[in-house]
Amino acid sequence: MERDPPNEVTLLLQGWRNGDRKALDTLLPLVYKELRRLAHFQLQRERPDHTLQSAALVHEAYLRLIGLNPPQWESRTHFFAIAAQLMRQILVDYARRHGAAKRGGGAHKLCLEDATALGRQNDVDVVSVDDALTALAKIDPRQSRIVELRFFAGLSLQEISEVLEIAPATVQRDWTAARAWLHREISRNPRHE
Amino acid sequence: MNSERWDRTKQILEEALRLASGQRSAYLDSACDADRELRAEVESLIASHEAAGSQFLAVAAPDLLLACSGDSDMAPLNHVIGHYRLVEELGRGGMGQVWLAEQMEPVRRDVALKLVKGGMFDSSALERFQSERQSLAIMDHPSIAKVFDAGATPDGQPYFVMEYVPGASITEYCDQKKLKIPERLELFIKVCDGVQHAHQKAIIHRDLKPANILVVEVDGKPVPRIIDFGLAKGVTPYVLGEAQCTLAGSFLGTPGYMSPEQADSGAQDVDTRTDVYALGAILYVLLSGSLPFETEKWRKQPLHENLRQLREEDPPPPSTKTGTQGESTKTTAEARGTEPKQLVSLLRGDLDWITMKALERDRVQRYATPSELAADCRRYLRHEPVQARQASVFYRMQKYVRRHRIGVAVVGMLAAVLVAFSVAQSVQLRRTTRERNRADRIAQFMTGIFKVSDPNERVGNSVTAREILDKAAQEIETGLAEDPELQARMMHEMGKAYLNLGLYARAQSLFEKSIKVGIAAVGEENRETVLTEQDLGWTLFQQGRLVEAENLERRVLDTQRRVFGPGDQYTLGTMGNLASTLCEENKCAEAEQLNREVLQQQKSLLGPEAHYTLVTMDNLSVVLDHEGKLAEAEKLERETLDIQLRVSGLEKLGTISSMINLGDIERDLGHDEEAEKLYRQALEVEGRVLGPDQPETAETAYSLACVLVRRGQIEAGLSLLRQAVDHGLQARADLGIEKEPYFESLHGDPRFAALVAHAKERASARNAN
Repeated sequence: MERDPPNEVTLLLQGWRNGDRKALDTLLPLVYKELRRLAHFQLQRERPDHTLQSAALVHEAYLRLIGLNPPQWESRTHFFAIAAQLMRQILVDYARRHGAAKRGGGAHKLCLEDATALGRQNDVDVVSVDDALTALAKIDPRQSRIVELRFFAGLSLQEISEVLEIAPATVQRDWTAARAWLHREISRNPRHE
Repeated sequence: MNSERWDRTKQILEEALRLASGQRSAYLDSACDADRELRAEVESLIASHEAAGSQFLAVAAPDLLLACSGDSDMAPLNHVIGHYRLVEELGRGGMGQVWLAEQMEPVRRDVALKLVKGGMFDSSALERFQSERQSLAIMDHPSIAKVFDAGATPDGQPYFVMEYVPGASITEYCDQKKLKIPERLELFIKVCDGVQHAHQKAIIHRDLKPANILVVEVDGKPVPRIIDFGLAKGVTPYVLGEAQCTLAGSFLGTPGYMSPEQADSGAQDVDTRTDVYALGAILYVLLSGSLPFETEKWRKQPLHENLRQLREEDPPPPSTKTGTQGESTKTTAEARGTEPKQLVSLLRGDLDWITMKALERDRVQRYATPSELAADCRRYLRHEPVQARQASVFYRMQKYVRRHRIGVAVVGMLAAVLVAFSVAQSVQLRRTTRERNRADRIAQFMTGIFKVSDPNERVGNSVTAREILDKAAQEIETGLAEDPELQARMMHEMGKAYLNLGLYARAQSLFEKSIKVGIAAVGEENRETVLTEQDLGWTLFQQGRLVEAENLERRVLDTQRRVFGPGDQYTLGTMGNLASTLCEENKCAEAEQLNREVLQQQKSLLGPEAHYTLVTMDNLSVVLDHEGKLAEAEKLERETLDIQLRVSGLEKLGTISSMINLGDIERDLGHDEEAEKLYRQALEVEGRVLGPDQPETAETAYSLACVLVRRGQIEAGLSLLRQAVDHGLQARADLGIEKEPYFESLHGDPRFAALVAHAKERASARNAN
């Protein structure tokens, strides 16, 4: 990256806290990109120096975001869990702000029109997913972490299996059950419309 | 719910989902025992699982968000813009938002109103917008959605008003209606016509893709309507995925349909051929069901890597995307009203050529205009030769068909011969001046042929084997003139390479030169000279020059019996070749006799399951078939095929050959169904193992065409025959089509007459190459 990432991230975060929506538009891809790359390297087990650099970026973002002292990374599992939580916070915040700007504070949906490459996709109400996920975490924290990593941080199930150090079959089972559970929960409690 | 219980629930859920829905109830009976609550929970989750489908949470939230990043509501609060009342948002994306709107005056009608994303407008973009709206208004073509109006809201938000097209995208429509390939082409041609019209008005679309081509039915017939013409120009920051954000501000295009020149960063010179490329990508999807490049994969790799691929790599031809197995292949074929295998053979050939010409990375190689592309599609539909293939058959052949198959083989062969030669020589002429000279000559020659032609034509190290071969053949006469023995040997080897490529005229010429040089250098009865003559005989046979072949083979056989001995494998080989020639000349009795002699010798010398023994069994069956001794032929060929399958497996030339010959015999026995089965299987294997443009593949297609015509499947038969002629059918067979008894029912059919004439032209062209 040509620009100095921590500085840029710092500025963007400040902007965001001050209510600048555009700052978030830029922050999101930045953090997301780094997180994805980091997960990728984790899986490939290559270029540790790069990993370190990426980690620093997300680390920085996290600190600025929650205004806390540096957390002690216990493990990569811990690191990814925190990073995914960060993504979740950013996305939910994003959806709330954008949703609020729409007529009557309608649904917080993420939409998709032109991105043919992504395949067809129903709109998803991120805030509903967030609420349902909070409920799920009470029953099964691991499952909730898997959803966080998959849906909010965009990791593949294989990457998740690496990151959480659990068998791929277990990740798959948890993911399947979580999707069914969340879908039911969201259908039972339609918040909007 | 406690966690232990939830774990149990998850396990039962997973197990139940693995079962077919009919078996679940029984499973739940046993798994949940009497625990009604547990069972109700699992059943409820199964229902949710099914309701969620495959899409729920399938795309990560950041990806979704980035796909429409930064858009906020652009419509004014009262939902009124000028004469238009906004009714319903139809969609939004990187370009802005589209609304279904009602025009209130002067006429009441539904329109589509597009609010162009304002944030990206600078004053120059606004100026462009103003001039563009003029040109958009002058387009008038049934394939283009009409642009009625354009303007800006009081706070400067630009918008377009277009015809509202309540239709599905062209790909969705074609799949829903299960349009067959010709129907898809008809529709595609209309799209090309529309784009051509726009180009004549100096408007380039720049973002053609299925989502921008909607289909409506007018009088029950599908009509495409292209939307969003010219809107992409200088207006849109496209967001393709996380990586592409770095490029916000410069328009890229949609992944999969974006042309290589759009991928060339900094290159602003997009022209009408950019649209031709996108049309090629759309055609690719309409035909094969997938995009030229895997955009799924693109999302996982960095942007610059995707762009590099687009600039530097050729996508595989569409026919290779469909495959013949698998569920998605079946769905793709079904949506085209056909079977996977038929779809592959339908696409292979002309449609591959047409699509690939439109997708050329170099614009100069593409169709210059959409109407040229449309014209080639029309030619295909009329069974006429397509330009794509005529113009670039040689160019393409190097690029796709030969590159992998013979590349290593030819270069390796040439090198091996030279090395073997120099080693042999150095043993004989240890450290003499002559040896050093020879080594130098070899080195020089090898270096020479690797310096291929015009450096401007080369990209990287992608020199093809065919180029090396041509270059070598060109230089052999002068390059090794000082060493005629080596020269004759190399000419022979190169001739064999051309023979393997089915380029018989070139092979023949090299063999003849080699023989001439060889006779002068080492004598008429030198082993090498005689072997070259043997190969020349086979080449003449392949060209259908049977009398010449027979005379030469008889002479060679004489010499070989004398010089090599009657049991030498080459002598037996020539006997076999002679038998094939005689059989083709209808001198079957002698052919049968020869083959039986050879077979007897080989069985005792080589063994009953040796490769050459099996070849002869195969040959003998063919002769018996020609003689009408069908029962004996069938028995022998089945025996041969069984051994082949057991000893060498399905994907061996010998096995395929037996399979085809057995197909011939079954066909002659009137067992058309069995014959069709054998031919189809052989054709599938050949297409896969040899490639589509091989003489062998073409010949099998020809045989299959015979059976299809006899079974009354005229259309399929003609199309296959045409494919065979265009894709490597040998001159011998080309010339035989007219007299082929299986095609008698086609006499008087103008399509057949045209095909016969075309085949004759091809035959003379092939013999002249």
